[in-house]
Amino acid sequence: MRGLSSRAWAAVLAVLLVGVVWFGIVAELGIINTMGTVFMTIVVAQGWNLLGGYGGYLNLGMAVFFGLGAYTSGILSPNLPFWVLVPLGGVVAALGALIIGLPSLSLRGAYFTILTLIIGFLVTTLAFNLDFTRGAMGLFVTTPDLSGEATERLFYFTYLALAVASIVGIYFVERSRFGAALVAIREDEDASAALGIRTTRVKLLAFLIGAGAAGIAGAIFSYRIGYIEPSSIFSLTLSINVVLMSIVGGAGTWQGPLIGVPLILLLAEFLRVVVTRLEVFGTGVPNELNRVVFGVILVVVALVAKQGVVGIFRKPVGAEMNPEGDVTGVAQA
Amino acid sequence: MAAVLTDLFDPLLLGQALISGILLGLVYSLMAVGLSLTMGIMGIVNVAHSVFVLLGAFAAYQLWESLGLDPLLAIPVVFAVFFVIGVLLQRLLIRRVQDESQSTGLLILFGVLVAVESIAILGWTTDTRVLSADYGPSIFIGDFIIGRSRLVAGIISLVLVAALHFLLTRTRWGKGVRAMAQDRQSATLMGINVERMAEIVFGLGTATAAVGGLGLALVFPFTPQGHIRWLAWAFLVVVVGGLGSVRATLFAGLFVGVLETTSGVVLPFELVSTVVFTVLALALVLRGEGLAGVQRRSI
Repeated sequence: MRGLSSRAWAAVLAVLLVGVVWFGIVAELGIINTMGTVFMTIVVAQGWNLLGGYGGYLNLGMAVFFGLGAYTSGILSPNLPFWVLVPLGGVVAALGALIIGLPSLSLRGAYFTILTLIIGFLVTTLAFNLDFTRGAMGLFVTTPDLSGEATERLFYFTYLALAVASIVGIYFVERSRFGAALVAIREDEDASAALGIRTTRVKLLAFLIGAGAAGIAGAIFSYRIGYIEPSSIFSLTLSINVVLMSIVGGAGTWQGPLIGVPLILLLAEFLRVVVTRLEVFGTGVPNELNRVVFGVILVVVALVAKQGVVGIFRKPVGAEMNPEGDVTGVAQA
Repeated sequence: MAAVLTDLFDPLLLGQALISGILLGLVYSLMAVGLSLTMGIMGIVNVAHSVFVLLGAFAAYQLWESLGLDPLLAIPVVFAVFFVIGVLLQRLLIRRVQDESQSTGLLILFGVLVAVESIAILGWTTDTRVLSADYGPSIFIGDFIIGRSRLVAGIISLVLVAALHFLLTRTRWGKGVRAMAQDRQSATLMGINVERMAEIVFGLGTATAAVGGLGLALVFPFTPQGHIRWLAWAFLVVVVGGLGSVRATLFAGLFVGVLETTSGVVLPFELVSTVVFTVLALALVLRGEGLAGVQRRSI
């Protein structure tokens, strides 16, 4: 299978970027809102991709870092301006990752995954019970003083800029020593350690940067939505979705989230519209039907399409050495 | 704080918490023993384990509500059905990825978790259910009270866990399983049909999970989305007890049960989960690496 050359990718992306900017100016509100969520999720998914995709450490707790960012800006928004809180949200999330990652990143494979899952539950219960998060009552955040439409367009372009930055960032990581070290850890952690890669440090750095990206996306999110509470902010759905989307697109590649996120979110939107129209299960359930479909997609992708969608377009790296072309982004246990 | 401390040293409350905790712990060990076996023997991290606990609870609930079948009589049905489900799951999904990295299996089982949980919510809604089978009034021993449902659930669990222990340690088949856990390839060379054996082990894992769910349903109200808590508890039992040993899982289950009920005496209800999650996170960090090391030579 011939892959696309980097020039072809550049051309596709340039056209895409112009199209998306134009779209942000002319398109109607509903779809702008959905696309804003697409860009936001791309940022979180690229954050996951760093350690999860390249490093092969399956993190099922990205919502924790997204939520840390959201709560940072949510709690401090009466005291500090937006442009301070957004980077601060990233810093707080990265600090959270440091606290979680320092003891846990020496764990291999599955134990790290279980721990991220458990930390997610722990943080959710804490957010429900602590005073400064105001528990289930949640927090109100003053949204920008603009019309609803202007606000949506503002966040559309804010998240677009971040998504572009994250994609460019990951593109360069993929070509850096740091990226190579992560892939080496994924392929064989013992061998990489023997070759002089400081594995724990590399993993921790990837974890911190990824968490920081999710934290920034979250800090902006509370301004976008205006009201945050634990069950929607620390939702397991977000953690699942970014993993699913990255893997469907192709984990451990810079194109993976770029392809997977719109694909899955637009599919979800489509299912929502179609199922609501059919009214098979009555009201309030289509969201669960989405998740049934996502669960099945996850199983099928893990079984058959190990390289994700991007595997169709991408030249397999080192294909002659490794005919399986394992770029699923999964670690040897 | 003073009141809390008096509560802690109140022998009546503490004794009551111990009794409840031990019975609960028996149910936890049944719920978790399958997870320990599939991880220890087959190296599969079954994150979908708790959906079988959940389905077991709902199967018992549905058999009781629709057919009036007593949960005790439902046990053989639930056991058989979920044994077959486990065998099929192993044969159709897990076997295909067993030679790949652990994370691929993890992803597949996570997909199973998401799909099954959502189907359960579609079918049973997110309402809280109670398995209202009545085994008569509570038993009084001195000042202590023992709920009959909890006692029944504890006894069932103990019997099944003990049976599993004897199956694995005292029979020829169990010897084969232990050989497989130690070295899959050598076991194959010795003429053990490891594929077949893995199917049965996975079947036993899901069947015990489902009956464990039935036991939990006798003790607690339950919801389709609430199984995540049971997943955390099952992992806690496994991490505390280590992999693949039924006896160690039993003691770990008892520890977790007693931890939960005694911390329930001194702490407000909503903090109990926080305590258990924290203990689990610490246990994982402190013992996780050690566990991974013993994975291949368990039982």
